[in-house]
This record gives sequence, C-alpha cells and structure tokens, in this order.
Amino acid sequence: MIWVSWRQHRSQAIACLGLLAALAVYAILLGTSMRTAFGQDGLITCLARSHGTGCPAAIQAFTNRFGSEVNVAFWSVLLILPGLIGVLVGGPLIARELEYGTWRLAWSQTVSRARWLTVKLSLVTGGLVVLGAAMTALIMWYRAPMDRLTGRFLPNIYDFEGLVLTAYILSAFGFAVLAGLLLRRSIPAMVAAFIPWLAIRLVVEFLLRPHFQAPLTFRQVCPRNGFCNAGYGLGFLPPVTGHIGDWVLGQGANPNTYLYQPADRFWTFQFIEAGIFVALTAAALGATIWLLHRRAA
Amino acid sequence: MTQNDAGGSTPALRTDRLGRRYGREWGLRDCTLEVPAGVIAGLVGPNGAGKTTLLEMIIGLLQPTEGQLSVFGETSHAPMAARLARVGYVAQDHPLYRDFSVADMFHLGRAMNPSWDQQLALARMDALDIPLKRKVKSLSGGQRAQVSLTMALAKRAPLLVLDEPVSSLDPVARLEFMREVMAAAAGTGLTVIIASHVVSELERLCDWLIVLTGGQVQLAGPADDLIAAHRLLTVPRATPDAELPGLPIHRTDSDRHSTVLVRADPVRPAAQQRPGWQADPVGFEQLVMAYLQRPPKSAAHNDNAQAAARPGPSTKAVTR
Repeated sequence: MIWVSWRQHRSQAIACLGLLAALAVYAILLGTSMRTAFGQDGLITCLARSHGTGCPAAIQAFTNRFGSEVNVAFWSVLLILPGLIGVLVGGPLIARELEYGTWRLAWSQTVSRARWLTVKLSLVTGGLVVLGAAMTALIMWYRAPMDRLTGRFLPNIYDFEGLVLTAYILSAFGFAVLAGLLLRRSIPAMVAAFIPWLAIRLVVEFLLRPHFQAPLTFRQVCPRNGFCNAGYGLGFLPPVTGHIGDWVLGQGANPNTYLYQPADRFWTFQFIEAGIFVALTAAALGATIWLLHRRAA
Repeated sequence: MTQNDAGGSTPALRTDRLGRRYGREWGLRDCTLEVPAGVIAGLVGPNGAGKTTLLEMIIGLLQPTEGQLSVFGETSHAPMAARLARVGYVAQDHPLYRDFSVADMFHLGRAMNPSWDQQLALARMDALDIPLKRKVKSLSGGQRAQVSLTMALAKRAPLLVLDEPVSSLDPVARLEFMREVMAAAAGTGLTVIIASHVVSELERLCDWLIVLTGGQVQLAGPADDLIAAHRLLTVPRATPDAELPGLPIHRTDSDRHSTVLVRADPVRPAAQQRPGWQADPVGFEQLVMAYLQRPPKSAAHNDNAQAAARPGPSTKAVTR
C-alpha cells in the first residue's frame, strides 16, 4: 500500500519539491541581501539601544526596500497558496478514482477500503506536513532580520511562520478529500473545498484571531503640550506601545489608550489557530473515512 | 464441469432474497441463487437489469440492503479482506491507472494481494506479447482488457467475476478475451461468473445460466438442463395459453400460427400435445431472448406456478 500511495502521488510530490525549490531560491536570495543591508544600515545598534523607537526612519527605509509588510499583492498570493496546495493534492485523492472508475480496481484487491484510505491519507498528510514545515522554515529564515523590526504578529508574517501555514495546507487538503468523495469529480471538489476554506481562513484571521485572548490596554503618555502624535496600524513601526512585535488592534475606550496583543503571545496564538485548523482537518478526514466505510462495508 | 452441483461442497456463490435499493428504486430484489463451484456462469440481462449491482455485492463494493450473500461460505459480514481474497474482479471498461506501466500495475497487484502470482502475470503478458514497460494509456482496448483479466487471475482467487468484459471490444479482441477466460478456467476448478448482454459470446463459454431482468432473476440453472426443459411450440393462432403443454414463457403471434416458448410442466405434461402442433428443441440464444423479453411483472405473477414447476435440484435457483 505504501508503494501504491507513493506511485499514485509521485508527480504531486515532485511538483511540491519544485515549489519548495523555487521558494528556497527566492528565500536565499532575499534573505542574504536582507542580512547584508541589516548590518549596513546600523539597525542592529539602533535596536540594541532603543528597541527601535529611536530610528523609525531607518526601519521604514528597510521595510520599504524589502517589501512592505502591507504588500497586499504578495499577501494575497501567500494567502491562497496553502489552500491551492491543499485542494490540488486532496481533490483528486478519491474523486479521481471515482471519475475514472479505478475505485472498482482499487477496492477489489485484498485490502479493505478503510485501510486503503487510511494508509493513503497518512502518507499524503505526512508529506504535506513535511512540505508545510519546510516552507515555514524557509520563510522564517529569510524573514528573520525583518522580523526583528516588525515582530511576527502582523498578518502577512504571522500567517507564514510557526504552525499555522502547515495547518492551513492540511485543512484545505481535508476539505478537498471529503468534497471529492461527495462530489465524485476532482475539479468541482477542489472549488467546493477552496471556497469554504478561504472563508474560514479569513473569518479566523479577521474576526477570531484578535480575540483568542483578551487584548491588553496600553495607555500612551503624551507630552506636556497635550499633543499625542501617534497612531496605530500596520504602517506604524515600531508600534505605539514601543515594543516591537506587539500587535495593536485599535484604540481603547478612553482617549490615548490602545488595545493590543503583546508579542509574547505569538506562540499561544499560533497553537490556538493551528489547533482550529487541525481540528477541522481531522473532522473532514474522519467524516471521509466513516462515509467510505459506511458506503459499502 | 458441473460435477459439483449435486454434491455437498460449498457453493461458490449463494444468495438468499438478496436486494439492493438505490433511494426508492430497487436495483436488485429477491435474488435467490446458487452457483456451484467450478462452473462458468453467464449472467445475462439488459442494461439496468441489476447485473452490476449483483456483481458489486459479490465482490463487496456494495452492501446488500436486504437478504444474505455468501461467497464460498464467507458471508457479507465477514472481514472485508477475507471476502476480497476470494474474488478476482474485472470491472466494466477494465479500469486501470492510465499513467501506470503494466509492470507498475503488477507491482500494485503484488502490493495489495498476499496471494499474488507474479509468475502467472508475467507469463501471460509474455504469451500475449504485451510489453511490461508500456504505459496503460498507450495499450489497445483489447490489451487493457487482457491486463485487467491478468490482474484478476494473478490474485489467485477461487471465484472470478467479469462485468461486461467484452462489450467495449472489437470482435477479434472479444474472441481472444473469451478464449483466455476459457483457458484460464479449464482444469483449474476456477469458478467464473461473467455478466454480458452479448448472448452469442456466452453460448460457447457458459455451462450455467442466469437471466436477470428488471432487478429479478428470471431463470437460473445448468444451461443444458434449462435448454432441455424448454420447447418451442408452433400452434394455431387461437390456442389459449391454458391449453398449452407447459408454461408459456414467450409468445409470438403471426397470421395463422403462434410460436410459443414453453417450459416443461409436470402438471401439464407434453402428452396434451395435439396433432398439427409442432414442438422443436430450443437454442441457447432463443431461450435467453425469450426470458429477456418477458416483462418482470409476469415473473411475479407466475410465482406459484413456477415454484411448483421446479423439475429438480438444478433449478432450485429460480426465484419468485
């Protein structure tokens, strides 16, 4: 069964390796020049001296040069990429067998279809975990200098570091496998899985993530003249809290107060969000195994 | 090859009031059958008669809605792998993985079947001149059918189930395929159930016959016995069914005469035959066609008469 699964998913595995190689080239080129510039711009000293509050101009120059953290186009590509990988691998997994009639061949050998599916799912899921982890490692490595200036809580950073990237891929995969069994066609299954995946992904990012834990309140101390020349948002680096990596969500109830998630909650948030998507994956794959088992066994 | 039918050996297939429903429609209903080990059984019926439904329940791809099914004594409640090990299956249109080579397909067979006979598989490809390195998608339809058959045979299962194996093939490939099935079954004790609507292909091959229409079994038993139990009568046109010697199965009226296929009936013996009537033996194809043209409802109508007409153990498989 292991050989069979490998033989059937060989070309997908090669395509994923190609993707990974392209990402590696991009990451190594960008990461190397970023590291060079980081040293030259005196940012290391600035960070050491004032946590970045003393040199906003230099930080801005660096982030502008290496792709702003609010680069919507880049963010959009990375937003849909995990979903695309997941549905492209998951959609055909069962649907292709149903489309081409090969299910009659696959399930009439001396292997129960529950075992057939379990082995296949385990191996492909394992492959996707390796792919997700490798992509995450590359992204985290090349972005390391940038992360020292921006922290890791901003959406286009948070979404690709830590655990969530892998969990996004897995959930899209799980949805697509289930959709493939229900719709019996690869392409419709991919579409039918991608749309809810993207919806859930955006809902979690914009509605749930800011509230995984109750935000803290920061009170800004204004100068004597009473004029607080501060704002918040993605463009403000370092953030108004003065601590790189804090995620400022918005203004609080009182004047000059801000709600924020402190930087040290990064991993807690990653675990919570990855947990949500892994649970969705498990639910989709569990439903698939149950349905396939019930269909005839 | 029908030496086993009266013996106490486990039948290759036994079904008891087997039924499968799709939503509101019954794909197969009240199917009670017994196919002894070692026969080549032809399963005939028009498209949608329930042939594939029955075959998929035999292999375990479908679960019965009602009734019982056992393959060499293994019921449908036995562990899946145990049931699968007993049946080699060639599905309709010979599904194979298009981007696999023939060698890859055999690798799959070996990986997924503990009893896989690689030597048999290789020898057959050698004999049929099918290169192992060739991709499935570049094989001809006939070659694909042969690879499918080889996969099913190399599984070394005691029952081989073929679902419309030749309907997509050209006449030469049909002939070659049937020849291979016959050669594989000869002298090995292999039981074969072959579904087809190409009746002429089955005549040479089968020693057991099952006719299925509208989800119900119309006729089942050893082909020779069934042929012997039927007569083709030519009678005056006005003759009512009740006066016929035997159960009328199918009637064709022409200007002056009626041609009626009748089944021998002990209650209405052939002695009732009158002068001027002509009785001819029936051919395999004629017999099958007569039952195929019978509407399924008339089968239900004749329930009791047919049950009473069972001439012997060989037709105990006739259902309601």
